[in-house]
Amino acid sequence: MATSETEKSGPGVSVASTSEFSLFFRIKPGHASALREALRALQNTPGYQPGDYNLAIATIHEARFVPFDDDTRLLFATSFDGPWDAYMEDFLTSGSTLALFDAVFQHVEGYEGLPDLAALKAFILGAQRTAGGYARNYPGTVKEIRKALRVNNAFQRVLDDPAAADALQHPALKPLLDEAAD
Amino acid sequence: MSAPTATASLRLEHDDIQGGVLHQRPSPYVGTYLLLRIDDRRAGRELIRRLLPAVGSASASSDPAQDAWVTVAFTHQGLKALGVPKGSLDSFAPEFRQGMAARAAELGEAIWRQDCYQLPTGRTSFGFKDGIGQPAVEGSGIPASNPLERPIKAGEFILGYPDETGDLPPMPTPTVIGRNGTYIVFRKLHTRVAAYRRYLRDRAADRKEEALLGAKMVGRWHSGAPLVLAPDHDDPELGGDDTRNNAFLYGHDRRGLKCPAGAHARRANPRDALDEEGSVDVRLHRMIRRGTSYGPILPDGVLEDDGADRGIIFVFAGSHLKRQFEFVKTQWLNDGIFIGAPREQDPLVGRPAGNGAFTIPKQPIRRRLREMPPFVVTRGGEYCFAPGLGGLRWLAELTI
Repeated sequence: MATSETEKSGPGVSVASTSEFSLFFRIKPGHASALREALRALQNTPGYQPGDYNLAIATIHEARFVPFDDDTRLLFATSFDGPWDAYMEDFLTSGSTLALFDAVFQHVEGYEGLPDLAALKAFILGAQRTAGGYARNYPGTVKEIRKALRVNNAFQRVLDDPAAADALQHPALKPLLDEAAD
Repeated sequence: MSAPTATASLRLEHDDIQGGVLHQRPSPYVGTYLLLRIDDRRAGRELIRRLLPAVGSASASSDPAQDAWVTVAFTHQGLKALGVPKGSLDSFAPEFRQGMAARAAELGEAIWRQDCYQLPTGRTSFGFKDGIGQPAVEGSGIPASNPLERPIKAGEFILGYPDETGDLPPMPTPTVIGRNGTYIVFRKLHTRVAAYRRYLRDRAADRKEEALLGAKMVGRWHSGAPLVLAPDHDDPELGGDDTRNNAFLYGHDRRGLKCPAGAHARRANPRDALDEEGSVDVRLHRMIRRGTSYGPILPDGVLEDDGADRGIIFVFAGSHLKRQFEFVKTQWLNDGIFIGAPREQDPLVGRPAGNGAFTIPKQPIRRRLREMPPFVVTRGGEYCFAPGLGGLRWLAELTI
């Protein structure tokens, strides 16, 4: 697990630029199936379907909702670029994400609905727990990863060109040639 | 984005708001910052009583002949020394109660007196026209300089009115000290002009490229003309036209080919550049700035440091020290995560430790400046609170 490389960033733990953010809720009695239905609906929202890679918040790496303890509790866990606590008010005033999450939060205790921001902030902060361990397998923000993927896709297209082997012989391209063999 | 509204339904109490909060400083200007220590609460209150006639309200005439005023603000220690009751002292924002030194360990000595005056060029010591991108305040009656940005809710800058979240900003008690007041940040920023000029000179083929590199770092040309509207060369007519020099967005320049995402002005106010992110609402992070220049100009062309102290007195006014001043400083100026460049800081005011990098997007190949030394050194500063005129009278009349 990350130890020396992590640092406190508000109440979350971070590795390099990215911080973990986990919320634990209690599901209202009798709301378990409605909650699962809301999660299915969220999963079917454009941007959230497999292969869409277009979540409403562009600075999170991934996110999951996990009902547990016989559907009496709910975990929301994500990895966020930057210290998430600095952006709390921004989340609460950005309509797009909140509107999506509103349908889920209806089924957990302590949620009083939109748009009382003070209550909403207390609700979120009350559900947040800091990780006891947090590790990552790659550095970089979502923006950097997306850029890296675009660059690699472009590089693969270059390698598909029959003239690539000759072109990559130029000394300025040696770092690329070193990555070209496999 | 909807069209800006010239008049707002909300009425600001102009006659109770200190004039310096809502009104831009004149140009040219001279001024003095005085930091006074209050040893005797009665003497302190007497001072406020005598100052009151000199403190202009925001409704005062804008007659240039009367363009002189005093703005009065207090540190938390100052309010304590005046005998403000503990319940009131404890009701101020936590950042203000801690003070700037506690929020930033690197701050230096205190300022006692600092004269300031506009340089003959009308520009900063780095050579740029400044103070352009001020937010329009809803209900202030002051026209917006950027017709493409809706005026910001008054509560973002003046306590006692709804802010951008729809709520009232946290306000100290009693109401008379809080209402129509605002938090003030001032910082003395020494500019290392010779180091800045030398850095550019060493990396530019000629004076034209030097000006371009400088503009890319700032986001504007010397005249104030924004890169987005004048990407290739300075346009003094545009820079001098206050109806046009702030009328732009970054949406058509996502990659930063005109104005780099890391340029100072774009970092400090990204406008619509982050609208697609879903994680940041730039309207929560706007700042009223009332900066001025101090110290002599370094004559044009001089590349050796003359040892003179010169720079900028940075002054911020706003309702939220943390999510306005501290957010912009820590997330946008001292960090590059938000633009996908975590190793880069603001090219002008970032990286106190030096060794900075700055990427300039360019066709066909981007340019990356490296090994940037610090060009700005923070000498000191403090968090203050500027009450409304009624608040000043309340302080003057404290009896405990």
